[in-house]
Order: sequence, then structure tokens, then C-alpha cells
Amino acid sequence: MQTNNIYKPIKAQLVKVIEESPEIKTLVLVPEEEFSFKTGEFIELTIDGVGEAPFTPSSSPLDTKQLEVTVMKAGYVTDKMHNMQIGEYMGIRGPYGRGYPLEEFYDKEVLILGGGCGFAPLRSLLYNLKAVSDRIRKVTFCYGSKTPADCIYKPYITELRETPKFEVRRSVDKADDTWTERVGVVTVLLDDVKIDVPNSIAVVCGPPIMMKFGTFKLIEMGYPENKIYLSMEKNMSCGLGKCGHCAMGSFFVCKDGPVFTYEEIKNEPNLWI
Amino acid sequence: MRYYIVAETEWSQHLNRFLSEYELYAPVKNTETESYDYEQITAETIDSIYYNGNTPTTPLKTFYLPIKENVVNIKENQPRIVIGVPNCDLAALNILDNIYLDDDYIDPCYKQNRDNTVIFGKDCYTYKKSCHCTSYSLKPYPQENCDVSMSITDGMIYLCPMSDKGESLLKKHKITDNKSVDTIPETIISKRQDVVNNLQNQNKNLPDEKNTRISIEKSSEELWDKYSDKCVSCGACSFICPTCHCFLLIDKEHFEKVRSVDVCQYPGFARVAAGEDPLHYLNKRFKYRYLCKYCYKPDMFKALACTGCGRCIDACIGKIDKNELILESFK
Repeated sequence: MQTNNIYKPIKAQLVKVIEESPEIKTLVLVPEEEFSFKTGEFIELTIDGVGEAPFTPSSSPLDTKQLEVTVMKAGYVTDKMHNMQIGEYMGIRGPYGRGYPLEEFYDKEVLILGGGCGFAPLRSLLYNLKAVSDRIRKVTFCYGSKTPADCIYKPYITELRETPKFEVRRSVDKADDTWTERVGVVTVLLDDVKIDVPNSIAVVCGPPIMMKFGTFKLIEMGYPENKIYLSMEKNMSCGLGKCGHCAMGSFFVCKDGPVFTYEEIKNEPNLWI
Repeated sequence: MRYYIVAETEWSQHLNRFLSEYELYAPVKNTETESYDYEQITAETIDSIYYNGNTPTTPLKTFYLPIKENVVNIKENQPRIVIGVPNCDLAALNILDNIYLDDDYIDPCYKQNRDNTVIFGKDCYTYKKSCHCTSYSLKPYPQENCDVSMSITDGMIYLCPMSDKGESLLKKHKITDNKSVDTIPETIISKRQDVVNNLQNQNKNLPDEKNTRISIEKSSEELWDKYSDKCVSCGACSFICPTCHCFLLIDKEHFEKVRSVDVCQYPGFARVAAGEDPLHYLNKRFKYRYLCKYCYKPDMFKALACTGCGRCIDACIGKIDKNELILESFK
């Protein structure tokens, strides 16, 4: 049970801004008070007097001194976030929701399917998996974006490719002359993934349409519904299971999720919208 | 159960004593519209209180969830007594308490408002055409969630404490020194039963909550298109519903936040940053509200999310009759 006011953010100072793509920036924040999160949990990030929006931190949950939030310009609040200056303060509420059950991944191969800005929460998961890689058999990360320019975290991809037990596959919908990897929607990457499906867990995070077809493809590959973890995107406003905006059937995505197994939510309405 | 008896002629003295410590709210009749609504009562207006009328226009929830409230810079509020709360509003607290007093995240404003309020539940001896609490296994008199239940017959008021808060209020004001009985008088039982019978008769074709759920789940999209065609997304049904709880957080300077009532019937309610919106179309939003009331919330909280108060029927400017829709889906 909490003791502080659940609606009151703690202050966090913006110490660095990383340009990931023309529309995406990563904000590095240092909270003024003790703050930690588990991978897959999300926060509400506030601009004082302007508004707030939900984000899953993209940094390692093991780094408790600072956290990184990757923001795609999508509206009024995120536009303001892109214009924040180093040294300015933002507000953080959370962490909220149910993240990835990492212990379920132990002794398994992990197949991660990500698209677009869905890489943000997945990067936090990948950091965490790397930290416990002695307990994980293998991690295969398949990532798709619209164009090579939209591929985010480029230095991190290089780092990940050099990490033992980690394999990275990428695709773009539309290639340019510089692109040497796959072309097509992200699910094409699954065609030649070699994975021990019965001893594997799958994670999907990205735009709804990609999550839909990604999940169907994983089922085709033989993944049981309870071994596919989806990170759902709904309009999460309060983060507390109260405001009703993120309701998905009998679940509040903000409190009961945002990470669910496909088995848990497959019959819920508007799953892929 | 113990019922303390106060003569109606002495009751205003007690109310005057309450007024020294509490703000007092009670239903007052609007003679033009023949409706009742809560008003703040003063020593001068005590006589205007209308006891045992039907459902007040405004639901009880507005005492706990005002239209707008700063939820970071919280104002302390005066203790208050709300008299004349019908059972449909009391039953609605099962949903609201589950959401706002959830152990993981207790809402500080709701809690303060709830703690500071003493609720006097009332028997409904009259009812509206839209009242249908008995269809959902509720009674038109207090069953739970109030601090004191209040029934009036033959010039006598029977006050039954139903919580520690209610008990201590009656004790403090020496009402517990009055004559008491351990069973409610026959005349009250008979009045209550008359209303139950009349409501059952009025709604004899209306299915119970379980069958309503089944018929809604099986209903055709044409039904929703037909009824939503008259909906103008004004949100009155949700504003007036005793269990609707949705809100928007509005950011203010100094990291303050104002909670403002929000309604799933408004366009954009469920839209996400990337633009997807599962409730974009009016017919989807309209149906969603019924699914929320009869399917989703009962599953989540094992409680009724429609308590049969009928306010959504009375308030609809498109003249959409929820029960008519349910009857049509039940055919």
C-alpha cells in the first residue's frame, strides 16, 4: 500500500537528449528521489502544467541512478517533450503495471519481435536479459522499422551483435542503397529463425498491426498461447486502474498489464486496435 | 439490528445539532419538475427536506467524485451528512470503492470524501417509471454501504445504525438513549413490500442482470446501430450513472493535477498516441457502455455496475430507453 499521493509526480532532471531518428528522441532523466522499475513496467512522464503521457523506460532497470525514456513525436505533449532543454525538470509517476516475468524466461530461448518505437521497452528487456544471460539459453531479436532512417538505437544494435548468446535480425519496409539486411514486414525475419520452439518464450512489442500478425505467425510456428508475451498499447492515463481509458474488456491494461500472455487476453475486444 | 425511534416532531432538533458539526445535504423536492435532488440544508431549510421520495436526480457519487477536483493539492473538506440516499446509490459504492479504495492505489481525495461523509440511507416509498433496482436483486431500501438506515412511518423515524460511524454519531447525539426496537415495524415492512411488488410488476418483462448480459452479448449489430442512431454522445448517461467512474487528469503548474469527469461516450476517449481508437465509431462507443455495465465490470469486481436507478433513461436527450433496448435484445 502506498503512503504518498498517487497522483503526485516526483521531479526528474533532464540531463541528456539523444536523437534516435527524425521523430524519436531519448531523454535521459535523473530522478530527485529514489526511483526504480522492473522491465516492462511503465511510467507517466509529466511536463509541468502541460500534460503527461505513458512510457516504458528504455534503459536498464538495473541502473537506478538515471532512466531513459524514448519519445516519439506523436502529439502535443510529446512535441513539447522533444523541445525540453537540458537542465529542465519533468515529473515521473510510477512505475506502474505488470512487466515481463523474467524468471519465466530462465533456461529458455527467447525470441523477441519488435517494431518501430516498440524497441523502447524491448531495449530495457534486452539490457535485463544480458545481465542474466548466464540463465538464458539464447536471445533472438527480430526488429522491423519503416526505413533505415527509422531504425533506432543504432549503437546499441552494434553492441548487442557483439554480445554472446544474442542474435539480431532486422528488416525495413522500404530499403535504401545503404541497407544490407532484410526488406519486408518484420514477420519475414521469422521465416529463417532457428529456434527450439518448445523450449522458447516469445515477446512481441510494436504497432498493433505488427503485433497481430506477429502473434499469428508465432502461433503458426508452434508457440503455445501462454508462451507469447504481448506488451499492449492502450490509452493509459492515470496508470492506477481508475480513470477507465485503457479498459480492454475486463482488464485495465495499465494495472493488469501492459504485459499479458496472448492466452490471457485473446478473447478481449479490440485487441489489435 | 436495532432501530432507534425518534418522533418526527423532534427530528429537526437533532438535525440542528448535526448542523453544528456537519454540512448537511438532503433531498428537496422541485415542485415544478416533481423531482428531488440533494441540496445543502441550513437551519432555515430543514423543513424542506423530502424524506422517502424516489431517486434524487444527482447520484451519491458526486459527493465523492466532484466534476473537477485538484488531486495533488488536496483541500480539506468539512465533515458532512448526506440524508436520503437510495439503495441504488448505496449498491453503486461496491464498484466505486473497489476502484478508488483499491489497496494498491488508494485515491486520497475519494478516501477523504468518503471518510468525511456519514450516509443516511432511506427507504423509497415512491418510485419512477424508470426505476428497476428489483430486477437486479436489489431492494428499494438500504441493504449495505450506509451508516444509518432511516425509515419513517406514522410520525416516527426508525434509525438503524449500519456501521461504526453511524453508531457513534447516534450515540454522540444521544439518539441511542431513545426507545428502540429490534425488529422493524410491520407498517414499514408492508410499505417496503408494496414498492417491491409494484417495481416487479412495472418491470415484469425486464430480464435480470445475468440474462441481460446474455442477451446483450448475443445481440445483433443492427440493434446497436438502431439505438445509437439517436445518441448524440452528450455523456449525460455516464455523468448521471452512480457507478460510472472515468476521469481525465488535467495538468496544472507545480505538477498539480485536476481530476475531471470523463465519459467513454466522448469521441477520442480511448484513442492512443499513434491514432488507433477502438471506440472511434459512435455505435461502438454506445455498445461499449452496455458491455461495461453488464459484462466487464461485473467480471472485474463481482458487483453490479447497473443498479437499476433509471437515471440514464431519464437524462437521455435522445430519449433512448435502456430498458427498451434490453427488452428488444431479449426477444
